[in-house]
Amino acid sequence: MAGVKMREFRRASARALADDKLQSFLGRSMGTFDGAREEAIEELSRQRWDELRERGRAIKRHTLDNLDYYLDMLCDRVSQNGGHTHFAKDSDEARRIVGEIARARGAKLAIKSKSMVSEEMELNPFLESMGVEPVETDLGEYIIQLAGEAPFHIIAPAMHKSKEDVGELFEKKGIGLPNLKEIEAMADAARVALRGKLIAADMGITGANFMVAETGTVALVTNEGNGRFCTSVPRTLVSIAGMEKIVPCLEDLAVFMRLLPRAATGQRISSYVTHVSGPRRPGDEDGPEEFHLVIVDNGRSNLLEDPDLREALYCIRCGACLNACPVYRKVGGHAYGWVYPGPIGAVVSPALAGLDKGKELPYASSLCGACKDVCPIKINIPHMLLKLRSSVAEGAERGGTKASLGERLAVKGYGWLMSRPRALSMARRLGRWMQWPVARRGLIRRAPVPPFSRWTRSRDLPALAPRPFRDLWRRELAEEE
Amino acid sequence: MAQGLGTPRGEFIASVRRRLGRRAGAPDSPYPALGEELASLEERGRQAMRRLQEGRGALMARMAATAELRGWRVCRAANSEEALDYLRETIQGLSARLAVRSHEEVFRETPVDDLLAGMGVRVQVMARGDDREGGFDPASADVGITGADYAIAETGTVVLVPRRGVSRLVSLLPPVHVALVRGPEVVEGLDDLYLFRRLEYHRRGGDMGSYMNFVTGPSRTADIEQTLVIGAHGPRETHMIILEG
Repeated sequence: MAGVKMREFRRASARALADDKLQSFLGRSMGTFDGAREEAIEELSRQRWDELRERGRAIKRHTLDNLDYYLDMLCDRVSQNGGHTHFAKDSDEARRIVGEIARARGAKLAIKSKSMVSEEMELNPFLESMGVEPVETDLGEYIIQLAGEAPFHIIAPAMHKSKEDVGELFEKKGIGLPNLKEIEAMADAARVALRGKLIAADMGITGANFMVAETGTVALVTNEGNGRFCTSVPRTLVSIAGMEKIVPCLEDLAVFMRLLPRAATGQRISSYVTHVSGPRRPGDEDGPEEFHLVIVDNGRSNLLEDPDLREALYCIRCGACLNACPVYRKVGGHAYGWVYPGPIGAVVSPALAGLDKGKELPYASSLCGACKDVCPIKINIPHMLLKLRSSVAEGAERGGTKASLGERLAVKGYGWLMSRPRALSMARRLGRWMQWPVARRGLIRRAPVPPFSRWTRSRDLPALAPRPFRDLWRRELAEEE
Repeated sequence: MAQGLGTPRGEFIASVRRRLGRRAGAPDSPYPALGEELASLEERGRQAMRRLQEGRGALMARMAATAELRGWRVCRAANSEEALDYLRETIQGLSARLAVRSHEEVFRETPVDDLLAGMGVRVQVMARGDDREGGFDPASADVGITGADYAIAETGTVVLVPRRGVSRLVSLLPPVHVALVRGPEVVEGLDDLYLFRRLEYHRRGGDMGSYMNFVTGPSRTADIEQTLVIGAHGPRETHMIILEG
């Protein structure tokens, strides 16, 4: 995988923290959707929201636990609708499938609505290499396609670009009039530039927010209307989906259509939800003549087979955990080095691209749990990050590299100490005595010896309190009862 | 291309099953909704219909209120005269020259063609089948007018499904979309909608048509600096006329 740079998280995040422009942008704009999200949830009532989350979680759990069964059903129903299903075990196979469909249909111009899987499989360069022009039609995706960059955020791929950046980019690429200043004018310039492509395209490529096994339906949640173009105008339609995107029953969508837009943007519903059930029928006035569904594994099996990590596949890609994460909010999406950033990315990316490549990512978290709290499916991300850290530390994963001897000994020693109260109390006393040259006002800003010195490079270490809580409790607090 | 490309289906699914450590066959704990008999689905459908009929008045009010919040301009029309009045005002504000509309029953009760012609607006109708003499060019139209198959009060949504005489493009290409919603088409929530559509799927022996589009207000984007811009690839202005009579 050429684009994988996860190994560099530490360096990339340091670069991001030193980037004044990025920091000022992140400070201004992270959390823009927080208020809207809270409002949309309050309106529904917290209790109802929680019921929906539980329901969504139960549906996902059941489906993933029986994924082979539902894949089989989905495939049957897609055929019954007159569509074709293709299975890809990895990115390479997925690219070749889409390429073969394009070749067989003589496609020259492919319009795409947002698809994370197509980013994952680096579809665009592949299509270009075979003479098919891929055009991203979601405004954010269009901007990063023009800029030749990776998405910064799952929901808002170009959110790191200021309007000045976009204005400059458009001018360089000849989109709209030169010297655009207003966001509306830029959006309009992109709309005009893309309209011709949307009308002329002979192939439409979409992702899938959900696939319904019962009816062979693909559901797309969009706001701009480009998803509707992609599914209406070109004569060939290809939807690409990670194999985990299935729900069993059409009525299940009532749950997820309430969860996804609220969690993603604080909308009660998106401007458009498009449900595709196969190609146009004989009585239809328009629509694609052919419908192809490409179902992709590409490492998802690694999550599926591990009961501790399986729930990472419950993710509906709303991006809420990114917005809530104190690490993401400081380093931004590009530091994660791959298609899926943020807390869920730190779990998914190593599994999809290999833990050896992504072994820094499970550490890109303070384990504060904010991601789990906001997740509409209540995915226990901190638990999975811990599990991955322990896999990294034990070097258990295929092709993984072991943690250093020192680190393994330190972790073992910590475990030993924590289960022996008397030894722990002695160690604390020793620590309090040893810390006095470096502790100031309850903090150690720069510890002189490893492993503490590495910790204090980017944060302060809280010093041990002068009197332990146990001691306080025993002598003073407990008496007040 | 009847044969799937890539990994053969059986092999792919067997591999998933192996990674799950599962035996072949249906789930150990069955999914209740999927085992539901058509008769039970029909009964739930009837109950939902009854509930909707009983609460019709409040439902219309909720439909209008939510639609407005979601960005529709809403007219509650007691009869087709009121609907046409609203349409006249809307068209006047647009300086429109070409309108396209789908070929649907609602236009028999609310005849928009004469009104538009009287205002100097050319009307192209999505002709049935191959009869396209009048021309049909939604890409050049200033306004697209459609009916609705359902409307959802919970979300302020108009639902469109395919049928003869209905083009997907009328509600998509022109910068202005006017949707005529008839009272009985309004349902309470997403649950009702998906229930009715599921019922239709099974009644028709496993087919519910090639697509179903939810349209909720104008198209929009917030992809530059998370600043909301109304009007992206779809219409920038949307009107919902609710025919309550």
